[in-house]
Amino acid sequence: MSRTIRLIDFGEVSPLRSQTVYHAAAYALREDSPDTIILVSSQTPYVCIGYHQDLEKEVDLAYCQAHGLPVYRREVGGGAVYLDSGQLFTQWVFHRDHLPASLEARFDLYIRPLVETYQTLGIAAYHRPINDIHVAGKKIGGTGAAQMGISEVVVGSLMLTFDKATMARVLKVPSEKMRDKIFESLEQYMTTMQEQLGHLPPRQELKELYARKCSEILGVEVQPGVWTPEEEAVAAELDARFASEEWLYQQGRLRQPGVKIHTDVQVVETALKAPGGLIRVVVRLREGRIDDLSLSGDFTMLPSFALGALEQATRGLLAKRDALATRLHEVYQRLGIQSPGVTPGDFAEAIVAAASPRG
Amino acid sequence: MIYYGCDIPENLYYHAEYDCWVRFDGPDTATMGMTDLAQTLAGKLLFVRFKEPGRVIKAGRIAASIESGKWIGPFKLPFDAELLETNEAGFGQDSAIANRDPYGAGWLVRVRLLDPTAARAALLSGEAATAFMQEKIERQNIRCFRCAD
Repeated sequence: MSRTIRLIDFGEVSPLRSQTVYHAAAYALREDSPDTIILVSSQTPYVCIGYHQDLEKEVDLAYCQAHGLPVYRREVGGGAVYLDSGQLFTQWVFHRDHLPASLEARFDLYIRPLVETYQTLGIAAYHRPINDIHVAGKKIGGTGAAQMGISEVVVGSLMLTFDKATMARVLKVPSEKMRDKIFESLEQYMTTMQEQLGHLPPRQELKELYARKCSEILGVEVQPGVWTPEEEAVAAELDARFASEEWLYQQGRLRQPGVKIHTDVQVVETALKAPGGLIRVVVRLREGRIDDLSLSGDFTMLPSFALGALEQATRGLLAKRDALATRLHEVYQRLGIQSPGVTPGDFAEAIVAAASPRG
Repeated sequence: MIYYGCDIPENLYYHAEYDCWVRFDGPDTATMGMTDLAQTLAGKLLFVRFKEPGRVIKAGRIAASIESGKWIGPFKLPFDAELLETNEAGFGQDSAIANRDPYGAGWLVRVRLLDPTAARAALLSGEAATAFMQEKIERQNIRCFRCAD
């Protein structure tokens, strides 16, 4: 088969265009159109939310407005993310029959050129199924997929840099403690080319390397192509739709518990009313186990250092009520902890409530 | 019949491209949903957003958008129809309901067919449907599975 894949390098564009170009290529795809790989970055920072998310529940809009950060809704799933020129988006718009039907195989194919690009640069990246890319347990990129029109779209990025502090800042979270934990978790569990290499490769070389890897892995020639007037017309329509309040503020109602840092790590928070006061829990889970825990609230506890001891004692445990209650009870006994109206079982229940997915 | 783990009920109608099933409830009404193959390919569903009942939806247009943990896609109607009812309540209680019971509790929409004859003509049924689904499952090398949790 003499199929070729069209490569379109948009360079740096407006935040809006960095999203609408791949939607436009997808919706403009016809039976005789080529598969397309788009390379694009945003000139300036913005926030992008998932298709079914509720903007006002997920994003700190007051912060975004105060800092001139536009927000756009994409037609791909997942969570809110802060994006800027530090990411080179790699967007595939393919005919359905030209990609594997199973998502596992599709992500595997999409991720291989990204991983090999990183590896060629000296970064020990690997595919963490189903759709993450990791370096020594830290995420260096996530990916997403969607069907648009007759196209199948897979998107992701090469992560040159990532502003973790602003990422943690733009999210709407129940408490500053939660925000701190998100930032700390991003620091601990995300990485970038800059962090791995100590410098950034020239962007043009990076693009050429990635295109070469795509060609090798797909077994198809990847050739620079032209953005058609039809695609531009669709992009212009989408620019208008994506910028409209009706689109942006549409009711999403998809609520995911906490904030996912990567495939294995999420930060969640909850509050539980016990007879002796309110217990607040911020917990980071790694592969279902407690990786880090913060307890606070308006209850009374003696000795004063006991809370820290309780937090430490839960690390590594599965978020299961009985096991947690037993471990916390041991610490109560050992340290002679007093907390009127709040029991080890209450703490265990609060931790389990935070860790359990809820609608 | 079960083929490579995929349930293909023989009493239903199917659309070749959209991976949906159709059960005709009356001369001009039908219930529709995702096939076992479609729910397997999508993965565990997180959310479905439905169009408002009462709307007329043209063939090839979207009646709902479906989000799983890794993918978003449309649920398209293969024929012109009025949306009578959606399973918003069912998916609201259990977003993975179509992963557990795609042909029963996990139905998506009930519709009134604007042209019942044309609607039936757009679908596959009986041996033709079974053969088509089998070929698709083999070609795509899929083994179906259901959510157990």
